[in-house]
Parts: sequence; structure tokens; C-alpha cells
Amino acid sequence: MRCYRSMLLSLRAAFFVLPLLAASISLAQEADWGDDDWGDDDWGTEPEGWAWYGFIEGAAAARTRSEPLLEEDSTLAETRVQLEGNRAIGRGEISFKGDLWLDGVTDNVESDLREANFFTPIGDSVDLQIGRQILTWGTGDLVFLNDLFPKDFISFFSGRDDEYLKAPANAAKLSWYGPIAVDVVWMPMAAPDRFLTGERLSYFSPMAGERVAAPPRLDPIDRDDFADDSEFSIRLSKTINGVELAGYGFTGFNKQPTGFDQQAQRATFPRLNVIGASARGSAFGGIVNVETAMHETEPEDQFRFLTGYEHSPIGDLTLGWQYYLESEDDDDRHLLTNRITWQLLQQDLTASLFTFYSASDEGWYLRPGLEYRFSDQLTGSVGGNLFGGDEISGFYSQLENNSNVFLRVRYQF
Amino acid sequence: MMYRSLLSMMIGLALLTTTAANAQLTDADEIVERANNASYYAGDDGRSAARMLIVDGDNQQQRQFVLLRKDVEDGGDQRYLVVFSRPADIRGTVFRVEKKVGQADDRWLYLPALDLVRRISSGDKRTSFVGSNFFYEDISGRDLAEDQHELIETDADYYIIESTPRDPSSVEFAAFQTWIDRETMLPMRTEYRRDNGEVYRRMEVTQVEVIDGYPTGTEVRMSDLDSGGYTITQFAFSEYDIGLPDDIFSERSLRNPPRQWLRRD
Repeated sequence: MRCYRSMLLSLRAAFFVLPLLAASISLAQEADWGDDDWGDDDWGTEPEGWAWYGFIEGAAAARTRSEPLLEEDSTLAETRVQLEGNRAIGRGEISFKGDLWLDGVTDNVESDLREANFFTPIGDSVDLQIGRQILTWGTGDLVFLNDLFPKDFISFFSGRDDEYLKAPANAAKLSWYGPIAVDVVWMPMAAPDRFLTGERLSYFSPMAGERVAAPPRLDPIDRDDFADDSEFSIRLSKTINGVELAGYGFTGFNKQPTGFDQQAQRATFPRLNVIGASARGSAFGGIVNVETAMHETEPEDQFRFLTGYEHSPIGDLTLGWQYYLESEDDDDRHLLTNRITWQLLQQDLTASLFTFYSASDEGWYLRPGLEYRFSDQLTGSVGGNLFGGDEISGFYSQLENNSNVFLRVRYQF
Repeated sequence: MMYRSLLSMMIGLALLTTTAANAQLTDADEIVERANNASYYAGDDGRSAARMLIVDGDNQQQRQFVLLRKDVEDGGDQRYLVVFSRPADIRGTVFRVEKKVGQADDRWLYLPALDLVRRISSGDKRTSFVGSNFFYEDISGRDLAEDQHELIETDADYYIIESTPRDPSSVEFAAFQTWIDRETMLPMRTEYRRDNGEVYRRMEVTQVEVIDGYPTGTEVRMSDLDSGGYTITQFAFSEYDIGLPDDIFSERSLRNPPRQWLRRD
């Protein structure tokens, strides 16, 4: 059965990928700087007006085990176009980035506006970025304590590129670079994660006491009143002797629907306030980071602690290690992560493995991957998202039936 | 008495007017120090657009970036900001280095799609720079104290220096030889050898231009003689002593590169 399924999937993948390959071969020949002799190539001109870029990508991911709750054998089957445009305006810039894709899992044409913003310096020491944007801070590697900007776990778990872990937020970011740097982000409406709804991936429902999937999709009460449901994030940072120090604050709402409204019988996003701090610098021949955060929320407050170490024992091999703690009154969750990145063939091939292992919830999550650059335009990736563990309700083990292996081919232009 | 001091004054003047190029240097350490200053420390700061053609058999790749540099101290610590514009998948990536002579550099990488500022461990400096045949160390200079230098020959045009690593286990070569132009003090060719004497890696400066008074290698070729692969780097739109402010070497510039210093025209 599984064999049949994977065969079907590779056929499907071929369907998505082959036209791309054909297109890229013909396009590659017209690429800039195509000749050994650059001759009178003009180095490209400084862009005036809009500059446009983008990619076409075919992606497919097959479940490695069946999920009786969901019809689809794939977590991903899509052909995607991303278009990105920038235009300088005075000292500032307008940016646009949008995705459009044919989605074989939802059987729909889907779209996502990832960036639409205006950036401008104000005077010498202030920057303003306003509009839809991707925001990141903090020192964790795929672990987040003080980064309360929206994440897209559906994309992350289902086999899309790492860049899709970050979901866009409608926000205004004001940065002041004085003796210390101060960043203030205002999100006028709460910007929750793209959490699991049961549509593409199944999950454990504490209410039902078992794994569930859509229908019905998880449909919490949104925090979408302009201004009333707004969120603020702040970061103060300074680098002293190569050590990056930062303090963080956040007031807003939980990024996941962890609350429940008995009256409406619907999930909710409880209030969340966070304060935290981090430090990152060179030590022991590598990079060491420490980060803590206090999350004040319902149903329980949580103290978070992270420490990590990254080093390159030999050229082109990088190892990263993290210990992460989430501590509540009666419950501690311990997590260990490891990242191995190995670049081969003059960095055209990148082999990687990211491992999450939690002894406390007896679960694990493996992200193996191989990425090959065929050319400056064409990249191919294979990899997986493999979940396992003993507890049906565990953080990773609940996702066991969503384990998948993926194939992606991307042509950049 | 008067005659003697006049004579010594004249000799002194003659020495002063003789350029360093014509005077024959005999101390290997002084030669490599001057060569290091000529190739990596021209001016107090500098800006250059660079592009690389990476050739590996039929496969050709390109990189294009702007390099901003500021010296903290001549021959010593430096700050670098490298802003990539091509190819598409690394456009907008920014690399920042605080180069520290005698200790590990501080390095940061900005990945625009994730708005992520990564701190990266400096580790091995003899690994490929963005997939090219150049190593990180070839771009920002190798610490002179890592090797022992010996002047083995001086011909009409070049000082030929033989360098052997103090810690052979830290590098992939057994020794390297450098041909340093006596006039410009630029290293024009470097050949890296294995234990058996076989040359397997070669750097050649194929074009030199005088920019703002500083002789500058504007085309450099790095060849991997084992694979036959090579990378040609061209520098253009170079300027020195442009007064780069210290604060552009910061996280602010990683997220929003300093546009006014990056323009090539």
C-alpha cells in the first residue's frame, strides 16, 4: 500500500517538476553573464524604478504513514510562483513580495502577500518600516522565546522551505539607533501563528482527548479589532566587545489558541505579556547564546530558558546544540536540539539534519535535508519531517501521522 | 665638519627621494608586511564592487557584491560589510565581519527572507567563500604570524617569498610561494604546494590599476589545479579614503544596507 502510494506520489511530483526542468534548461542559456568572457557586460545597471525578481517552484511531500483522519496522502503538492519587487524612494524603499500557488492538497489556487511595506530612514538615527513585513529577533535556532512574531507551523511541518516558517505581520516598526538600539513594533491587530487547524495536518485535541483533523477545522475567536486587539513588541540591544546583549518586552495575545470560551464553545487567544533577555557572543571556539523569557498568560505562566553552542569543527561542517526549558508550576518541558550542516562539492551540496528531542514528552522530530544547486537559477531539495514518540498527546508525537518526505525544485529569475 | 653634515644631509635626501620600490628590501618579514598592507589595507577605508565567475567544467556560476572596508588599525583589525546583489537566491544577503588579527573574527550573516541575523562561528578560514575557489582568508587576508617567511630570491621584478605554516595541521598546504611586485608591493602570484612539492592551487593577479593613488589588483584568478576549476574575481567602481562612518558596520546595516555607500556610480 505504502509502496503504491509513494509511486503515485513520485509520478505526481514528476508532473509538477518536469515542466520546470524543461523551462529552466532553456532559460538557463539566456542567463546574464552566460559567457566565460564577460566582455563588455555592464555589471547590471543600478536599478531605477521597480526591480523584479522571483521564482517558480514545484513541491510535493508524501506522508510516510497513513493518516486515517485525512484523505490526502500528501501534505504538500503545489506549483508556486513568488514575485518580489523593490523600488527606491528617496533614502527609502517600497517592497512587495507575493506568492501564488496551485495547491493540490486544498485543490485551490492560494495566495499569500508576504511583504508590502515602505521603509525609510528619518534623520540620521531612526528607521521606520510600515506595512506587511517579516519580523525576527532573538537568539534561538528554530526555538522562540522572545520572538512573538507570527510563525507558520503548517508550512514548516508540511515540507515547505524554511523561509515559510516566518509568517508576515501587518506592523509598524520604529528603530532608534542611539547609545543603545531600540526597536518598537506595533501590530494593530493581533498576529497569531498559522497554527494547526486540522486541515492539512492532524493534531491532538485535549478537548477530544484524541488526535483530530478537519472537518471541523479549529476555528478560534479571532483577535481582529483594530487597535483594541493590538500588540506591542520592544527590544533594547547593544553590542559590547562582540557580545550582543538584548532585553525584550511584549504585550499582546498568545500566538496559539490555548484558551477556551465555555459560552461560545470556541478556542481563544488569551492575553500574553512577556519580558526577557538574551546574550550572544564568541566563546569556546564557537558561538554561545543564552536567552530567557517570562511568559505571563493563561492558563499558566511559563518561564523559558535557552542556551546554545554552535561551532565548526572542520571546514564546511557546522554543529549547533541547544538546551531549552519551558517551566510551569507543576510541569517542566526539556528539549534538546542538534543541527548538523555539511556543505560539500564547493558548497553546491548542503546536507543537513535538525533534531528535536524531548525526554520529558518522550518525543522527537527529525528534519533531514539535501539541497543541491544545479546552477545559479536551479535548486533541488529532498528532505523530510519525521515525528515520533510514545505519547499520543506529546508535542511532536501527536504529529506522527503527518511525517512526510518532500521534494522541491526551484527556478529563480 | 660642515662638509660632513652636508654630505650626510644629501645622502639622507637621496634616500628619502628613492621610492621604496627601487630600494631593495632584504627582510622577508618586512616584505610580507608591506605586501599585506598593499593588498588589504590601502587607504583608511575602501569601497569596491566585485563579481565572481566560478567555473567548474561546464558549470558556471556568478556572484556579485559590494565590499565596504574600514581599517581599525593599519595592518591590524578591520571591519567588513559585504552586500550581495546576484544571483537571485542570495540577493539581499549581507555578511559582516569584525576581523581581529591574532584571534577569531566576529561574523554575522543576514538572511532577508527570514529577517534573520545569524551569528556564525568563524571556524576554519580556509573554506570556500560563497562557493567560489577563493577562501575567506583570500578575501580578507591571512594572519602573517601564522607562517614563517623566507626571502628565497629577488629578481628584476619580484621578491619571491617562501612561507611555511607554523602549525601545519591547521592548513591544507605544506608551503606556499608568493611573487611580490617590487614596485607596487602587490602579491602577483601565489602557489600552494603539497608535501611532495606539487602545486595544486594558484592565485594570479591578472590586472592592476592605480586607484586614488593605490595600485589595486582589479582582476584576480584563483585556480584549483586538481579539478581544473577556477574563479575570476573582478573589482570595479573602487574608491579609497571615502570616509565610511564606523556605525555602518552594525546590525542596522545588515537589515537595511547603507544605500548611499553602495551605489556603483
